[in-house]
Amino acid sequence: MARTRPSETGAFSEAEAIRRAQQGDAAAFERIYQLHSRRVYALCLRMVGNTADAEDLTQEAFLQLFRKIGTFRGESAFSTWLHRLSVNVVLMRLRRKTLPATSLEETTEPDEESGGPRRDFGGPDVRLSGSVDRVHIERAVQQLPPGYKSIFVLHDVQGYEHNEIATIMNCSIGNSKSQLHKARMRLRELLQEDARSQARELRQADKAKKGSAGTD
Amino acid sequence: MHCQHFEEMLAQQPDGPLPLAAADHLDTCLRCRLLREDLQAIGIAAREWGREEPTPPPRVWAAIQIQLQAEGLIAEPSPHGRGLYLQPAANRGWFAGWLTAAPRLELAGAYLLLLLIAAGLAGYRTSLPANPLDRPSAAISAPALDGLGPALDGNMQRVVASFSEYDGSVARSLRRNLGIVDNLIAVCEKSVREHPGDPLAREYLYGAYQQKADLLAVAMDRSTLEIK
Repeated sequence: MARTRPSETGAFSEAEAIRRAQQGDAAAFERIYQLHSRRVYALCLRMVGNTADAEDLTQEAFLQLFRKIGTFRGESAFSTWLHRLSVNVVLMRLRRKTLPATSLEETTEPDEESGGPRRDFGGPDVRLSGSVDRVHIERAVQQLPPGYKSIFVLHDVQGYEHNEIATIMNCSIGNSKSQLHKARMRLRELLQEDARSQARELRQADKAKKGSAGTD
Repeated sequence: MHCQHFEEMLAQQPDGPLPLAAADHLDTCLRCRLLREDLQAIGIAAREWGREEPTPPPRVWAAIQIQLQAEGLIAEPSPHGRGLYLQPAANRGWFAGWLTAAPRLELAGAYLLLLLIAAGLAGYRTSLPANPLDRPSAAISAPALDGLGPALDGNMQRVVASFSEYDGSVARSLRRNLGIVDNLIAVCEKSVREHPGDPLAREYLYGAYQQKADLLAVAMDRSTLEIK
């Protein structure tokens, strides 16, 4: 049985792959997939937080790309074009998922960015420096509204510059910067809340331990 | 500079170097200093997360290949002579390509065989809980899948052979499409072998078998129409 393996597609350049893909060349499609699939998959995985949806979205993003590749004229970088398309595919999915979960009560005081409910955060500030790691960030990012999540993942995780994000997200550079700041501030609140609840649990466990020791 | 101005400055220049006035403010304001340290800690953790480069499993590309072929987006043979089997330039589906030229097909027992395969698939399907993620790997028993592939292969060979009697080009086209589905099945089987406990891998494999059964069903449908 014949199979396509990475080594079989040759090492032709991205520009050559695009030109050949526009003519329907199968090896060119695979070359483009080889060049960009890891980055697109990583973006999808970080945005949705589970592998099943990330695989599905990666497939959808590349299918949309291949359907539209004939219209690519090279005005923007190909990778920017692909990532814009991928972000749109992910945002469509996230918005479809989040809409039904919003109740009428929750929309009375909408969040500025998401249109969803604004969360209240209480208690004293908790210092994050030294206590926040990749796992905490990953968990907190999944709680961000889709718009903040996109900007944060693109800039702070995937390493895009604001001018690239502005093209991908179809916004101004200034808007990208201010949205990133808001996303970081929201993440800080989420992480602080997480740290506070952990501290509470520890205190309660400690109290329970002391209580049981006292009765012995 | 006041704290509010400091935050506004951060929003405008979240990553740039601090202006002198902001740096002076940080020297005297613990609140803003903590804010800046927290944001820096978040940035460091995010970059650490970004250093991981997950790779999509092979089944993703296999599924894309199938869909590209189904939509007729691939127009020319691969110059490497391997890889995808390709249709001539056409904006038609992969079934449509060979069905339009399909000959009469007279397989008296074909429907019975298809029914057996369908029953096998249905039995496999109904043995699973509704949510794929809840399915224990034991629920999708190896024997259920083991019997399916050879059964489909045997039936496909009969169908292809009967097509060959009437029109060699149709049989060749059918073989090409079978090659694509077999390619997907091989990738999915490998994935199941490598990750036997992964319910998603088994779900993909089931889907691949189902595509092969669909191919058989369409071939038989076509043969019945031709007979009538």
